[in-house]
Amino acid sequence: MDGGNIFLTLLQKVAPEGVPAWVLALTAAVVGIAILVGFVSVLVMFAVWLERKVSGHIQCRYGPMYAGGWHGWAQSVADGVKLLAKEDLIPLGADKPLFVLAPALMLAAIFGALAAMPLSPSVYFTNLNLGLFAILAMSSMTTIGVVMAGWASNSKWALYGSMREAAQVVAYEIPFGISLLVPLMVIGTFNLGEASARQAGWFGMHWVMFQNPFVLPAFLLFFTAALAETKRAPFDLPESESELVAGFMTEYSGIRWSFFFLEEYAAMFLMSVVGAVFFLGGFESPLTHFARESFGAGSVVHEVTAGVTLLLKAMFGIFLMMWLRWTLPRVRIDQVMTMGYKYLTPLALLCVLGAGIWEAIF
Amino acid sequence: MATQIEDRSKSEEESRTLPTGEKEFFLDVHTSDLEVNFGPQHPATHGVMRILMRADGELITGAQPHLGYLHRCAEKIGESVEWLQYLPYTDRYDYLAAMNNNLGYSMAVEALMPGLVIPRRAEMIRTICAELNRIGSHLIAFGTYGLDIGAFTPFFYAFREREWMMALFEKICGARLTYSYIRIGGVFNDAPPGWLEEVARFCDVFEEKWKEYVDLLVMNQIFVKRTANVGVIPREMALDFGLTGPMLRGSGVDFDLRRDLPYSLYGEMLRDKAFDVIVGKGEKGTLGDCWDRTWCRVFEMMESIKIVRWCLERIEPGPVLGDIPKVLRIPPGEAYVGIENPRGELGHYVVSDGGKVGVRVRVRGPSFTNVAVLEELLPGALIADAIAIIGSTDVVIGETDR
Amino acid sequence: MNATKTYFKNVWDSLSTTLVGMKITGKYLLQKPITVQYPDERLPIPERYRGIHYLEQEKCIDCLACARACPIDCIEMDAVRHGKELEWISFTLDYQKCMFCELCVYPCPKDCIHMGTEFAFVTYDRSELKHDLLSFKGMAKEARIRMKEAEAKKKEKEAAKAAAGAASGAPAADPKTPDAEGSA
Repeated sequence: MDGGNIFLTLLQKVAPEGVPAWVLALTAAVVGIAILVGFVSVLVMFAVWLERKVSGHIQCRYGPMYAGGWHGWAQSVADGVKLLAKEDLIPLGADKPLFVLAPALMLAAIFGALAAMPLSPSVYFTNLNLGLFAILAMSSMTTIGVVMAGWASNSKWALYGSMREAAQVVAYEIPFGISLLVPLMVIGTFNLGEASARQAGWFGMHWVMFQNPFVLPAFLLFFTAALAETKRAPFDLPESESELVAGFMTEYSGIRWSFFFLEEYAAMFLMSVVGAVFFLGGFESPLTHFARESFGAGSVVHEVTAGVTLLLKAMFGIFLMMWLRWTLPRVRIDQVMTMGYKYLTPLALLCVLGAGIWEAIF
Repeated sequence: MATQIEDRSKSEEESRTLPTGEKEFFLDVHTSDLEVNFGPQHPATHGVMRILMRADGELITGAQPHLGYLHRCAEKIGESVEWLQYLPYTDRYDYLAAMNNNLGYSMAVEALMPGLVIPRRAEMIRTICAELNRIGSHLIAFGTYGLDIGAFTPFFYAFREREWMMALFEKICGARLTYSYIRIGGVFNDAPPGWLEEVARFCDVFEEKWKEYVDLLVMNQIFVKRTANVGVIPREMALDFGLTGPMLRGSGVDFDLRRDLPYSLYGEMLRDKAFDVIVGKGEKGTLGDCWDRTWCRVFEMMESIKIVRWCLERIEPGPVLGDIPKVLRIPPGEAYVGIENPRGELGHYVVSDGGKVGVRVRVRGPSFTNVAVLEELLPGALIADAIAIIGSTDVVIGETDR
Repeated sequence: MNATKTYFKNVWDSLSTTLVGMKITGKYLLQKPITVQYPDERLPIPERYRGIHYLEQEKCIDCLACARACPIDCIEMDAVRHGKELEWISFTLDYQKCMFCELCVYPCPKDCIHMGTEFAFVTYDRSELKHDLLSFKGMAKEARIRMKEAEAKKKEKEAAKAAAGAASGAPAADPKTPDAEGSA
């Protein structure tokens, strides 16, 4: 199961003789990347539309209604086309290579982390045994992109945004990792597909959350840390709209700016998937269970049901993040640090301690 | 542009004392402070105000507000248009509480006309309109303050109620923002049939929504943490700077022009104990911090509802305009009348020489005095706090610059 | 001990106020929005709304009371008097200057200028913003008829006076003559 994925398997079946193995692997990788980028981009466009609708309805208004007809479903597409047509402004005095590289780096980091995500039990881009670890490592690299963007913009307000981001993300990596230790202790594997499989049982409801009472507080801490990692409100200081008018993104315009947004929603999706897999059962749900019983593991129905379940759980996580964004005010940077170091980290350690004792006893 | 904000990187001392009282020791590495322009165009300055800030990282070490970007020579215009023609100009300084401006100016000019009697119905309608506009102005203050702090939704809820208030005013005078309705001698026209019932309905619905505002924003833990103990104005500082309105009452000084120097119907209301004056108590932090001022504003909205209800109970049919000649000549003299604007004491000083056109119309705008305190409050605060402090002063640049 | 209590109180406060806030926003998430989707749907405009002016031209007597009342001097009117009747040339209101304060409506002695409910007034050229409120130029038919009748009556009266003067034979200057010459 190492180093291969479904695309490679399929290619190996259909490829003619004499084609060297590395060509197959390369093609499979390219196909995988294309599908991943396409899938995530479509998902992000949907998430942007959903955000605007959710924020609209919370604020007693409609949100997009015009583009495309029914509730403005094509708004994201229209926005994308508009942004592509915009002038690419690079401020005078900006550090051009860094300015251009920053969004690219952030996107590369996020897509790299998303490569460890499985679409369904047999469809995955790469089956890493250290899946979660790789995700944590790759998603931290987005910080470098943010700092680069703020510095290269040659603007004091952008610099403020990126400095805050650096402090915030570093502070919240710790409770993020520690709160993930709790489900890891319960399931015992970093591999996302395997973690999902170990939550099968109880008719598909043998989720980690119900396996150990310390997982629920750990989930809350994980969720808070994930909000801070993805720079979502109430921790959206790096991008604080009313203070710094877009923080580190101020000097970006057109499609470069939309890359930042792509990264933000992709990161939200990533965190939701990680939360769904390690806390909320991943592929498992009563529907998946019955699909597996009725049609057998490996059948198309089972694959599709499992994929849809994971997607729905991830969408729920995204919806919850959006709901919180439009409810809560922004936390000040020193309070963010206080929360991270003094509240989340000790509580996460307590959860780890409690979960460990529980696992040892039961 | 020369500024008087000190640049620490050029000093030779070993340490300095910050405005918060801490001693900060210099290291071998001398970093220069960042001079940031909290510029005229910014979402959080409530208008076009420029604050030149010197910041050491996130800590502000000096601040200097620059005004005048919205100066429209309102007072000079007062010397060249007739008395009644000046009324639309009064709308436009504090455009969020235009009825109160009209009222202030009208009362100042009426003070120069000794024989004039303003009919009771006119007084009632004036008070209802002024208090409804106070609610509207405080709604904006509350909503935009939430927006500055980062809570995007209370703004929309506040505007939902404000839409209703503006629709009420649209029915009575035809305009939504700059009313020119309260005029010298009374009001321009009587309330249309059904208007008073709608005001009563508005009061009832508003009470329920008001509870939501308190739950959603004022008592929210994050909001409390952002605004408590921030921008503390001690009692003496408030009195020294001449602050008025919620800025003063938030610091614990029990002074409200409607109660202490009553005008119009407020003297009668005092006898009936129709409303209370909300004074800050320092519930969630130090007395005089931003939270206290916001709390004052939000709770003052309920007091305004009480006043409106008091008026609705006692209003009776009658004329709405006093005995005013068609060609208005004000007897010579000078008068100052100060009223309680949502932002503080709005004073009009009017000088007449007996003619059709005024000699001097001087306006004491509360926001102008309130802005002065920023130079004291901002040093020692973080950038995010600066925004909280500026928002809590509820400054309207139209009034600051006129 | 006090520090621990504050610590956990902070945690509890954060959670509880967040949940209260989420309940309120969740409630509005499920309700129908209050937006009126202009221009497909419109709100009713009250009758007293201060929109673009309209003039009841037949009533207007060219007294310039509204032009004098305007703080910004944006009303200009031009008409030729024929006795009591008016031949209208123009009645313009400069919407580049108008601040919709309604001060022009009250002083009108004949109550003929009003502010209507029309607010969308967009033009492609600035000169079009000097809007002419007249519904017709020149004289109304009835006004012309009245003017002709008044002229005819005046001629009759003068003819009668001349005849009476000639009959009585008084050579003295008619005290009415200077007035008649002045008002013609």
